[in-house]
Amino acid sequence: MVTASTLLGVAMDGLAFGVFLALLGVGITLVFGLGEVLNLAIGTFAVLAVLVATLVVNSGMGLVVAGAVALVAVALFGLVVDRTILSLVYRSDGEERILLGIFTTLGLTVFLDGVLINYFPSRYTLPLDVGTVSVGGASLTGSSLIIVAIGTVVLAVLFGFLRGTFLGKATRTVFQDERGARLVGVNPRRIRTLIFVLSAAVAGLGGLVFAAGSAVAVSNGFEFTTFALIISIVGGVRSLVGAISAGVFLGLVNQFANFFVGSYVATIILFATAIVVLLARPEAIS
Amino acid sequence: MSTRPPLGTEVRNVAIVAVVFALAPLAVLGSSYYESVLAHLLLIALFAVALNIVFGHTDQLFLFMGGLAGFGAYTTALLADALAISAWVTLPVAALACGLVGLLVSYVSAKRNFTVVLISILTLNLQLVFSEIFVGARGITGGSTGFPYEYFGLGVVADAVGIETKLVLYYLVLLLLVATLGFYLRLVHSKYGIAFDAIREDEVAAESIGIDVVRYKTIAGFVAAFLIGLVGAFFARESGYILPGGFTFIAVDVIVLIVLVVGGLRTTMGPIVGATIIVGIEEFLSSAQSLQTWRSAIFGALLIVLFLYFRQGVVRSARDVLSDVGLTDEPEGGGTDVEGR
Repeated sequence: MVTASTLLGVAMDGLAFGVFLALLGVGITLVFGLGEVLNLAIGTFAVLAVLVATLVVNSGMGLVVAGAVALVAVALFGLVVDRTILSLVYRSDGEERILLGIFTTLGLTVFLDGVLINYFPSRYTLPLDVGTVSVGGASLTGSSLIIVAIGTVVLAVLFGFLRGTFLGKATRTVFQDERGARLVGVNPRRIRTLIFVLSAAVAGLGGLVFAAGSAVAVSNGFEFTTFALIISIVGGVRSLVGAISAGVFLGLVNQFANFFVGSYVATIILFATAIVVLLARPEAIS
Repeated sequence: MSTRPPLGTEVRNVAIVAVVFALAPLAVLGSSYYESVLAHLLLIALFAVALNIVFGHTDQLFLFMGGLAGFGAYTTALLADALAISAWVTLPVAALACGLVGLLVSYVSAKRNFTVVLISILTLNLQLVFSEIFVGARGITGGSTGFPYEYFGLGVVADAVGIETKLVLYYLVLLLLVATLGFYLRLVHSKYGIAFDAIREDEVAAESIGIDVVRYKTIAGFVAAFLIGLVGAFFARESGYILPGGFTFIAVDVIVLIVLVVGGLRTTMGPIVGATIIVGIEEFLSSAQSLQTWRSAIFGALLIVLFLYFRQGVVRSARDVLSDVGLTDEPEGGGTDVEGR
């Protein structure tokens, strides 16, 4: 029989996986909500962060420094992508822009994967050596606790930024009505750059969080992107709260399914959920 | 509206393709490696024709070609083994099953007014489910170790005619390609082609003049998925071994998309021209050891650049150039096309 303390442990790991999913989902949601670009390269951004952090750790630095360097690097890379590829994509609009966004970011994923695999052929992990913590008889993975803490803080800060600051309010204005935003003097293109860079960093953090528990290979990038897509489908592609709750919910579902029926069925459950939601309420996405 | 060349010109072009590819094995002097390359080229072109019908003509972006092809290939083989009958009997059944999947996806999408993004996300999810099943259902599919794929009894024909099995397969696929192109020409030069054009221009307007949008989109989805499933079985037969890795999104869908766009959406020759170019590039890359590892990077960059700058495709560009210098028998001004996407 499965004890309650084991279940608590699974739940904690599920929450940690949920934080990872939520971060990716938020990354894809922010960008699509603002500029109708579905960033299919988001998973690769996450992998990129892990690889940069691994390099820094290998050069003898601490994990915290490595994480910070990785996030800055991914953010800078996001800036370059925004200024080059996305600038060209934003020239078109409507359905054409959406299609262009899909194809160029898909191309970017394939391109980056192809480049990175030449330099990073194996699997990389950033272990947080914290062991397990005992809470009321249940032994919880220490890294899961830290991940959940980090995730909560970062998502709270993100919300604070969007709700509380002028820049955040300007961002939400563009979300709601681009022409209206322009009328009150907000430059949508600038906001899009800012948010794209931010989303790259958030996705990078997602990657780091994932690497704390499991090894990451370059080929995981596209898998991460599909996770992000599922989250944005289930949560609604324009809703941040939706993305976060969908992430946490599916993280828990996935971990419990993993525990009880195995990982293969767990993954299928994840995709099936997305398909069902997609068919049940497609208006949440378009 | 439609800027297709006259039917006669198109039929002539298909005939030229048929003759060129029928003679192509002679040019490679019996090298079985290059015979495989040629067969691979034709198979990729067939996938691109299918994508052209469903995406090019009705704007339904199917991103589960790999999954459908795998579904067709696995179903053909597993049914043949389970019932101990010829794969020739199970192939149509498998293709029909694929067709029904496509039909269902198109029907639901059209009924619910899915945008192209929604269809692409939906089918991408289905692709991942297929991939997951191919790997995960180890008991039936052999998982990631796969199994030898030597169906269709081609060896018998090869012995009877006195040529290699590879060549038998090659000519079989060529036959399928020519038949498919013939079917494609009939389709786009019929009322279906006109309806497809109208739907692509403006769905509401098409609906208002009495075109049953759901019906036409569903038909396109069925035809494409049927074809993909059919070709999938030969795709596996060509490599002689079936593996889930051969039917992933990156392995099939990305390549076929590039092929179709390079060649030219909504053109008859586009899939063949595109496949020739892309398979040519692949061969060039794998001939140089130092370039081989950069294959995926190069195709990724190609995908970006093509979609940003070259969405009209080689076939249309060539047609423009030819009509500029007055080398075609087409009516003036028929060669240019305002890209509708």
